[in-house]
Amino acid sequence: MKDFGPIIRALLRNKTGAMLIALQIAITMTIMVNAIHMIINRSELMARSSGLDEANQFVVAQYGYRDDFNEKYVVQTDLDHIRNMPGVVDAIQTNSVPMSNGGTSMGLQVEPGADKEGLGVAIYMADDHALNTYGVKLIAGENFDPTEVEFRDGNTREWPQRAIISKAMAEALFPDLSPQQVVNKTVYINRNEPITIAGIIDQLQAPWVGWDNVERTMITPIRTMYKFSRYLVRTEPGRRDEVLEAVKSYLESRDVGRMLFPIETISDVREQSYRDANAMQTILWVIISILLIVTALGIVGLVTFTINRRRRQIGTRRALGASRGDILKYFLLENFVITSAGLLLGIIGSIGLNIWLVDAFDLPRIGWIYLPVAMVVLWLVGQLAVYGPAAKASRISPAIATRNV
Amino acid sequence: MLGYYLKLAWLSIKRNPILSALMVTAIALGIGASMTTLTVNYMMSNNPIPSKSDQLYYVQLDNWDPNDPFDEPNEPPDQVTFRDALNLLHANKAERQVAMAKTNFIVEPDNQEVKPFHARGRLTSKDFFPMFSVPFLYGQGWNQAADDNGDLVVVITKALNEKLFNGENSVGQSLRMQGEQYRIVGVMDTWEPTPHFYDVTNGAFGEQEDVYVPFILKRDLELPNSGNTNCWKTPEGDGFKAFLQSECVNYQFWAELPDNNAKDNYMSFLNSYVMEQKKLGRFPRPLNNRLSDVMEWMKKQGVVADDAKMMMYMSFMFLLVCLLNTIGLLLTKFVGKAGEIALRRAVGASRTQLYWQHLVETGLIGFAGGIFGLLLAWAGLAGVRHLYGDNLKPDLATLDMKLVLIGIALAVVSSMLAGLYPTWRACRIPPAGQLKTQ
Amino acid sequence: MLSMQHISKVFRTDTVETHALKDFSLQVNEGDFVAVTGPSGSGKTTFLNIAGLLETFDGGEYTLDGESVKGLKDNTLSRLRNEKIGFIFQSFNLIPDLNLYDNVDVPLRYRNLSKAERKRRIEESLDVVGLANRMKHIPAQLSGGQQQRVAIARALAGQPRFLLADEPTGNLDSQMAESVMELLESINANGTTIVMVTHDPNLAARAQRHITVRDGQVTENEREPKVVSQLRA
Repeated sequence: MKDFGPIIRALLRNKTGAMLIALQIAITMTIMVNAIHMIINRSELMARSSGLDEANQFVVAQYGYRDDFNEKYVVQTDLDHIRNMPGVVDAIQTNSVPMSNGGTSMGLQVEPGADKEGLGVAIYMADDHALNTYGVKLIAGENFDPTEVEFRDGNTREWPQRAIISKAMAEALFPDLSPQQVVNKTVYINRNEPITIAGIIDQLQAPWVGWDNVERTMITPIRTMYKFSRYLVRTEPGRRDEVLEAVKSYLESRDVGRMLFPIETISDVREQSYRDANAMQTILWVIISILLIVTALGIVGLVTFTINRRRRQIGTRRALGASRGDILKYFLLENFVITSAGLLLGIIGSIGLNIWLVDAFDLPRIGWIYLPVAMVVLWLVGQLAVYGPAAKASRISPAIATRNV
Repeated sequence: MLGYYLKLAWLSIKRNPILSALMVTAIALGIGASMTTLTVNYMMSNNPIPSKSDQLYYVQLDNWDPNDPFDEPNEPPDQVTFRDALNLLHANKAERQVAMAKTNFIVEPDNQEVKPFHARGRLTSKDFFPMFSVPFLYGQGWNQAADDNGDLVVVITKALNEKLFNGENSVGQSLRMQGEQYRIVGVMDTWEPTPHFYDVTNGAFGEQEDVYVPFILKRDLELPNSGNTNCWKTPEGDGFKAFLQSECVNYQFWAELPDNNAKDNYMSFLNSYVMEQKKLGRFPRPLNNRLSDVMEWMKKQGVVADDAKMMMYMSFMFLLVCLLNTIGLLLTKFVGKAGEIALRRAVGASRTQLYWQHLVETGLIGFAGGIFGLLLAWAGLAGVRHLYGDNLKPDLATLDMKLVLIGIALAVVSSMLAGLYPTWRACRIPPAGQLKTQ
Repeated sequence: MLSMQHISKVFRTDTVETHALKDFSLQVNEGDFVAVTGPSGSGKTTFLNIAGLLETFDGGEYTLDGESVKGLKDNTLSRLRNEKIGFIFQSFNLIPDLNLYDNVDVPLRYRNLSKAERKRRIEESLDVVGLANRMKHIPAQLSGGQQQRVAIARALAGQPRFLLADEPTGNLDSQMAESVMELLESINANGTTIVMVTHDPNLAARAQRHITVRDGQVTENEREPKVVSQLRA
């Protein structure tokens, strides 16, 4: 560390160049830390399980538009047929599926009454094949009985007597009870209409991926007659695409007064749902990468300039006995000092920007681990950027000292 | 003198091609990133109807739960109920007013070769067309009688007219939708206000509706709900009529109020309307009605996506890094010019003249950076359109002439700002010392 | 033409104070050719810089062409340099990117001259130094002597009343030095006042007047050698 003193003094004499690099490093770190924070934040959102058997499912929407569309009959015969097709595990009619961003929600409350607080819950309507088709596991209670499935049209107000809720919803309603204890409890929908909890499933997401309470879901034993509905089909592993074609040609072959929307696999639904998050991640990665390159190039440019200006001085040092390694070490150390100063500023900047983002955009706080990681990355980038010009400087001939330029 | 400075700038840029290229690249990258994200933000915050955005007001009435506001802190619902929409429409207290809702249709073309297809529909009232300055290719909107009687009339878009009638005048023709025969009264010319301001609760950048029919058909034909529906209490009684009488909000209401006086009068009308309704046992919350003009409403609804804003701030910080970089490189470059500067000072150039010479040089570098930056932004926007696909209307990620000019101005001004300090420093060098030796 | 009375100039650093000029007085008349010699560090460069308005002075009076320059604004000094003074440097100080035409054009650009007038003057002065046929060349394509001739052309183009030369032959071999010296003499013969700093006693001897700077002060040498040289010539 014998070079430390002279480096600091040299830097103080040539403040501008050093300050420019330090500032660049500081802003680069600020952007990097917060951008990576956003990227990881989106990754965590995307990594959440929907609860579905996503690789082996597809969904098809239909809309009955003709007077002769007999929804009850058409749906029953469709389901009977599809459930018996080879490669099909199970199928349901449902109002919505996770990640589709369209669905129904209601409030559930533990005590009846208009003045009591309700908890929002996403409602799936499907028959007793729902659990098997979604691919969710019942952890307490029991599944619906086929006989308790009700038919519901757009004007029905009452809800069925029983429902199955997700574990997260059970915990939200009854924080102190285990899933087994929640079974057979009564909760209230529409302020005072009782519903008995028939069973608890491990996990199933609501349709809205951006909802804070996305894990709060409820399955009700309902077959809808809204004219618009979806079929969700689950296939045996690896047979999705083949079954999809078969189901498609079967449905298209029936002239029952309905219009079929294009079939989507659940993988498509997921891709569509998280496309914005994915796009933002890509854009942020591009920004970070170019940013690091620009910063590195800036360092190379300024160091080259400094070295060119100090050629004679470097030659003189060489003539006076400094080894190539000493010269190299000098510039690497100089960069380390500048970068460190920048990183200190960068820590303040990163935290400052994060506080603002938390405030303005409800982003979560950054974890402290981002700071040391970003610092190490930028130290490395700085050292790598400075290495080339510094190595060149170390090869300056000592003879330059005696030459007249 | 400008011609001379430009010539000197060009020679100087040519003299240090690598350094110059580095600076142009740095500025181009910064401008490219900034313009890409700025474009999306700019387009999202676009005024969709500049000629009268300050005369069109979105109406909010607070019919919500006495125990719980629609949104914290005490925000009224973002839509109105069917009965309020209809009442306000019939009251006819504004210069023009329109009640609306989103709906869906299945169109069954007479032409057997075209299969039935899904069409986005808008239930609306007659003033919609003049109020929002909708251009017509053929025919026009419907009249008061159609609104009152619930006539089966429809206005279709140019695109749908192309699809069904090969672009020919289809006014007077009939269109079969969900079992009913509608009479086409008008064909719109291309009209895609961005944002889709008149119904942002159902997506500010969604696709335009294909068909427009009288609002009252909602009731007469019991058309299904589409778009966001929010209820704080269950409709009383069964059936569709009960739903229409309920406190569920699913409808948008706009009023055209040409001046502040009209606005004040309309607000008093809304307040007295709500007071009347309170007598019927509705509107349990304190008086809390709102009128927001188009841009206020866009702002309240947060039409510009947070993601877009955050990326724009990041990009501008990125531009700042690029400019710091440019400052460093310019310092490097101008130090090499100390001899020339000293000589010019010796033969009589004033400092001001030298400042200008170098500002022109940095401006030229900025201009080049701006041009390349716009090319990068163009490519970047193509990338953005690709990444977001159907989730982003393509015109939200497209440069227009104004943005091109903004981009170039941003590049030139910011690089000249970056050039200020290096220029000042270079021109401050006393000439005497630099002339003695090379 | 040039009158310096009791000029003093002090250079200060944090620790040291150097009196570059003290009580420096000199009178140069219209049409004079003055050679300035002196050991290194004597103050002759400082004198030249002050005379050329490139540096300010601390005390005394300096009148150039009848105008006191003390305390003038930077812009006024620039204008005076541009209109009244021509510079010739040891290292030529040509701008490497510009061709000969554009190099000679440099001082003219800072005057409000028409394009035609600039062209006439540039061609005329390049003709005087014998390089009119190489206008489109860049400095690197010329020999040292030729480069210095371009620098002289640049100084002449502004039609200054007063030419300051700082070791004009310092970087040239003797043959080239001789031709540059002859050029300066012919310019002086046409009425331009010249002050030339040199360390070459032979060149100094050819000037009309020869002064020596020592420790920041002037010693005037006798005129005899000049008469001799004139006789010899």
